[in-house]
Amino acid sequence: MKLWVYVLRRLILLVPTLIGLTLLVFALEHAGGPSVFLALYINPHLTGSARQQLVDQLTARFHLNDPIYVQYFYWLGAILQGDWGTSAQNGQAVTTNFVWFMPNTIMLTVVASLLTWVISIPIGVYSATRRDSVLDQGVRVATFTLYSMPIFLIGFALFLTFGTSWHLLPAQGNIDDNLLPTLSSKSWFDSNAVSYPTHIYLIDALLHGDVPIAWNAFLHVILPAVALTLALLAGIIRILRVSMLEVLDQDYIRLARAKGVPERTVNNFHAKKNALLPTVTTFGYLVSGLFGGAVVIEEIFGFKGIGWWTTMAFLNSDIAVVMGSTLVFGIVLVLTTLILDILYGFLDPRIRYE
Amino acid sequence: METIKEEKGRFDEWKLSARVFFANRTAVAGLVIFLLFVGDAIIVEVAPGLVGVQYPDSVVPPLFSITHPECVNQAPEPPSFDHPFGTTEYGVPGEGCLDVLQLVMKAIRIDLAISLFVVLVGAAVGTVIGVVSAYIGRLLDEAMMRITDVFFSVPFLILALALSFVLGRTVLNMAWALIIIWWPLYARYGRSLTLSTKEATYIEAAKAAGSGRLKIMFKHIFPNVVPPVLVQISLDVGTVVGIFATLAFIGVIPNALVPELGALANIGLNLAPLGYWWTVIVPGGTITLFSLAVNLMGDGLRDVIDPRRRS
Repeated sequence: MKLWVYVLRRLILLVPTLIGLTLLVFALEHAGGPSVFLALYINPHLTGSARQQLVDQLTARFHLNDPIYVQYFYWLGAILQGDWGTSAQNGQAVTTNFVWFMPNTIMLTVVASLLTWVISIPIGVYSATRRDSVLDQGVRVATFTLYSMPIFLIGFALFLTFGTSWHLLPAQGNIDDNLLPTLSSKSWFDSNAVSYPTHIYLIDALLHGDVPIAWNAFLHVILPAVALTLALLAGIIRILRVSMLEVLDQDYIRLARAKGVPERTVNNFHAKKNALLPTVTTFGYLVSGLFGGAVVIEEIFGFKGIGWWTTMAFLNSDIAVVMGSTLVFGIVLVLTTLILDILYGFLDPRIRYE
Repeated sequence: METIKEEKGRFDEWKLSARVFFANRTAVAGLVIFLLFVGDAIIVEVAPGLVGVQYPDSVVPPLFSITHPECVNQAPEPPSFDHPFGTTEYGVPGEGCLDVLQLVMKAIRIDLAISLFVVLVGAAVGTVIGVVSAYIGRLLDEAMMRITDVFFSVPFLILALALSFVLGRTVLNMAWALIIIWWPLYARYGRSLTLSTKEATYIEAAKAAGSGRLKIMFKHIFPNVVPPVLVQISLDVGTVVGIFATLAFIGVIPNALVPELGALANIGLNLAPLGYWWTVIVPGGTITLFSLAVNLMGDGLRDVIDPRRRS
C-alpha cells in the first residue's frame, strides 16, 4: 500500500469515529431530559418571564418537540457553528472558556510528554541491556511500585513534600497571588486575568520581555509537569524495556555481536531504533493518560488549565463545560491518534499492509 | 525460577499451573497480600466488632459525631502505639477524630467489591461481545470496532466524569460508569484472541463434524479466550481501584457518604497541608499496596498461561 492510500484510509476511518463521538456527547446531554439540556444554554440566575422566553426560543431552535434524530442534526449544527452553550460558572461561552484554559493544558502535557520520553528511553534501554542486573531489578521494582500508585497519590505526595512541607517550589496556581495586582497594570493582561496572545503566562511574559513574571510562572509549571510525568513514566518504561528485550533477542543482533561489533554500538545503533518503533503505537495510550491525568493533577495544584476547569464545572454542576470538555478532549485525542498513526505508517512501511 | 519436570502418566493441567505459579515468589507474595485484603473485607463484613470497627456504614455527619472513646484531642494525632496510622477528623471541627487504621480497614471492603464488580461485569460483557463479533465477522465486527473506537476516543477519566454527571454521583453509579468505559477494552481483547484461534484446524474439524455456530463459539473458542482474559482481569483490578479512588478523591462522591479509600483521602485533603500527612498518605498507600498485590499476581498468572515460560 502506498503511503497516500494508507493516509486516505485512515482519514476515512476518522469520519465514523467523529460521528460516534458527537452521538455519544449528544446522548449524554439529552439523557437527563429537556430541562437538563436547556441548562447548557441558560444562565441559572435567569428567572421569570425572561427565562421562559429563552426556554421557548431554545425549544424552537433545537426542535426539542421533534423526534430525537431530528434534534441531533439541529444540535450538530449549533456545535459546528461554535455554539456549545454557556458556562454557568463565569457566564462566558463554553468555547471562550476553552480558548482561555486549553493552552495551559497543552503546555503542561507537551512538557510532561517530552520529560517522559527523555527520562524513559535511557532507563528502559539501559535496564534491558543489563537484564537481571541489580540496576535492572531496581528499575523493575521502582516502575512496578510507581505503576501501582493512584495518580492522585503521586500528585499529592509531590504537593505535600515540595510544596507545603519544604516550600521548595510553589504548589498552587499558575502564578503567585501577590503578583496579580502588578499584572493587571500590564497591557497584555485583561480584567479576566487572561494574558495575551497565547493565554499562557509563561510564554506571554517572555514575549513581552518580562523576565521576573516569566520566572515565577515557570516555577509554577515544574511540580504539575513532574507529577504528570511520574504518573506516566512507569508504564512507558515497562513497554520500552520489553520492546528492547525482544529486539535484543533477534538474529541480526546476534550476527552483529558475532561479527565483533562493540556492545555499545549494537545497543545504540542496531537495537535502539527498532526498539523505539513499536512504542510509537503506545503514544495513543500516553496521550489519553496525559489528558486524563491532567484533570487530576491540575485540580491538585490549582493549575488553571482545562482539566482544572472541567473538575470545577463538575463539582459546580456546570453541565455545559463538562459536556464541552468531553467533546473537545475527544476531538483532540482522535486527531492526535490520527497524526501518530500516519507518522507510524511513514516510519514503518510494514504497518501499512496490516 | 526452578525448572518444572513434565509428569509421567496423566498430564495434570491444574497441578502444573499451580506449580508454575507457586514457584514465582513475588506472585505468591501478591496473592498473600490480596488474600489479606479479602480476609479483612470478610471480617469487617461478618464480625465488625472483632477489629474494633464500630463506625456505621454511612459517614454522614450526625452519625459520625460519635467520638472515639480513646480520642481526646480535636486535632488529628500522629501515628502512635494506640493509633498505628494516626487519627483523622471528620471535616466538621469539633466532631472529634477517628482512627485511620480502623477507617482504612472498613474502607477496603468497598474498594475490593467495587473493583471486582466493575472488572468482572466489564470483562464478561466485553468478552462475549468480542468473541461473537469476531466469529460472525463482517458488518457486525465492523460495527463493533467503530463503537469501541468511540469509547476509546475520549480520555477515560473525562468520560468517567461526564458519565457520573449524567448517572448521578453515587458509588454504584460510578461503578456503572466505569463498566461502560471498561467493556470496550475486553471486547477488543476478546476479538483479537478469537481471530487468532478462529482459523485453527480443530475449529475446521468441529465445523466439518456439523457443530453449530453457538457450540463452536462457546465450547471451542471460549476456553481459549478465558485464560488470557483472566490474566487481564487481575491486572485491571489494580487500575480500576486507582481510578475509582482518584475520582472519589477529586470529590465525585459528594460528602464522602461511604467510607471508601479515595473518599477517606478526600477528607484529609485540607488536613494534610497543615502537617497531618497521614490522613491522605495512609489511604493512598493502602490503594498502592492493593494495586501492587494484584499486579504481581497478574504477572504470575501471565507466566502460567505462557507456554514459553512453563516448559
